[in-house]
Amino acid sequence: MNIKKMNKSLDFLREKYGAAKGEITIKDGHCYVGATPLLPGRMERKIVELKKMTENGTLEGVSTLRFASFAPKGADIEGMLAKELDLAAYLGASDVVRVMAVANGLAINVLAKLANDVNVSVEIGAGLPKGAEPYDRHEIIAKRGVACDQTVDTHTKHESIRCWGADGMEEFTDVDTELFGLSYDEIWNVRAAFALLQKRADAKVWKAAWAKATKAAKLAFAADKSKAAKTIAVKKGLDTNQSIKVAEVR
Amino acid sequence: MKPVKIAMMGMTHGHTRKYYQTLLDNQKLDWVASCAQDAEAKKTYELYKTGVPCYLDPEEMYRKHPDIEAIVIASANDRHFEQVKWCAEKGIHILSMKIPTFDMKEYDEMIALCDKAGVVCQIELEMHYNSVVRRLKKLIADGAIGKIKSFQATNITLSPVWAFPWQGDPKSSFGSVVPLKAGDPRFRGGALCDHPHIFDLIRHLTGSSFDYIYAEVAPNLRDGLKVEDMLMAVGKMKDGTAFLFDPSWSRLEEKLKVPGPGWERFPKRMEVNVTITGDKGMISCDCFGPNVYHNGAPNDRYTVQYTYFDEWIGLIDEFVACIREHKTPLINLKWHKETIQAMLGCYESIQSGKIAKVGGK
Repeated sequence: MNIKKMNKSLDFLREKYGAAKGEITIKDGHCYVGATPLLPGRMERKIVELKKMTENGTLEGVSTLRFASFAPKGADIEGMLAKELDLAAYLGASDVVRVMAVANGLAINVLAKLANDVNVSVEIGAGLPKGAEPYDRHEIIAKRGVACDQTVDTHTKHESIRCWGADGMEEFTDVDTELFGLSYDEIWNVRAAFALLQKRADAKVWKAAWAKATKAAKLAFAADKSKAAKTIAVKKGLDTNQSIKVAEVR
Repeated sequence: MKPVKIAMMGMTHGHTRKYYQTLLDNQKLDWVASCAQDAEAKKTYELYKTGVPCYLDPEEMYRKHPDIEAIVIASANDRHFEQVKWCAEKGIHILSMKIPTFDMKEYDEMIALCDKAGVVCQIELEMHYNSVVRRLKKLIADGAIGKIKSFQATNITLSPVWAFPWQGDPKSSFGSVVPLKAGDPRFRGGALCDHPHIFDLIRHLTGSSFDYIYAEVAPNLRDGLKVEDMLMAVGKMKDGTAFLFDPSWSRLEEKLKVPGPGWERFPKRMEVNVTITGDKGMISCDCFGPNVYHNGAPNDRYTVQYTYFDEWIGLIDEFVACIREHKTPLINLKWHKETIQAMLGCYESIQSGKIAKVGGK
């Protein structure tokens, strides 16, 4: 991620729409504004749409979440798992209370439970070749309806453009015109920072949510070692899974 | 920069609701009023709770908001001329829907009126502000596939006629009642009039002009519709590029009066897909993707749900910049004329069964 470029884009949004001052920093591969960890996954439009479906009656009676995330070799699989467990709590609207996992080098398979009894499976792998685009999948299975951010009947990621040129095939997926030129990860980190500075996202909520997600991810690895599920006590108080206000055009 | 005082007029066009978020969010705008065509359009407008007052009489709106600087004309095609004239006479800048008019005499008068008044008239072709189209333009400009040899594009949707009945009415949509061809009970004014984007996009990507076009209508999918809903066109640009267009309403829909969840019966309600063959490669492009997919409420059908249409942000940004910085919009009346002529060429070809030279040349 190019922090300088990201902060320039953040300034552009702040000046255009109005927001408090602030800048993105990066620590151990994760982006922050001040001491607040960013949750870019919650800002991805596909996640925004899935969250809405769980709240607006499109899906009723969520039972199970099936998530997967794959990245190139060398990726931080604990960080990847923390992101997915945060999204599980967010989309399932309930905290993770139990994790069991089996890890094997660059992969870990996790079976988790939310406080509302929803099951969550998370498949994490860092086995893609260096330079390959990451791939993820989020499927929500409900009593009424199934929703997913990947197409049915295919295991290839949807790309907006495929270009077969002199150097072989290249793929492009551009998702944000105002931030055109930033990478997918950069875009959602900038949007997350902007949401925070506009107070659409609550710093307290994000700090608490990320603390829960990183703890759950750590416990997943501990569960693998001990071959026993790990339980997480639910703290009463702050709801860390509330949705964020975003622009709508229908 | 002083925010532009903006209003909306008509409120019967299918794109009306797509402006609400942007007009409210953009700090360079102050959305002061709306004026609905009739009580029904006002009622629909009020469902969206924008907080912006809505009138039924444009004169009343103007009396109460004499500082209006710009108007989004969101009405049926046959109302555009009188509304453009009304705006131009008051020195109000115009954001026109995608079809200003199919009447070329009216079209030229619109150009003259806007030129005389010195107002900006931008045509709403929002695809230009779509991030995928931006990438597509860049790839072509960078020579990724060399010189374009062939261009195929779909601009296929469900039909909006149940929510926006004027789009199924020949007079309101085409501007006059013209039979499609001898022996055919249908009239001009259907799917073709809804889908100018691909006729415009090819001009930008090739940098060339239309030479000729040949079009055929197919049997309609919808019983009782007075206008065409299925057609295709082939033709050639002046630089030799061969093209094939599908601008149909080929995706069936529920007959909803207000667009909303469950409108589509085919999983994807709208598609602009482009394939381009160049002398050094090929591009395949889906301008509306990636998406999310579900089979939830209201009909439990497999549905492709779009993520976010941010085209309207760039479109409005350009409009504001043109007003404040006295610039000419990318899609202005003069540029857009050939696109309209190419669409008219389709109708002429359908009528004659022969190729139509675009612009009658």
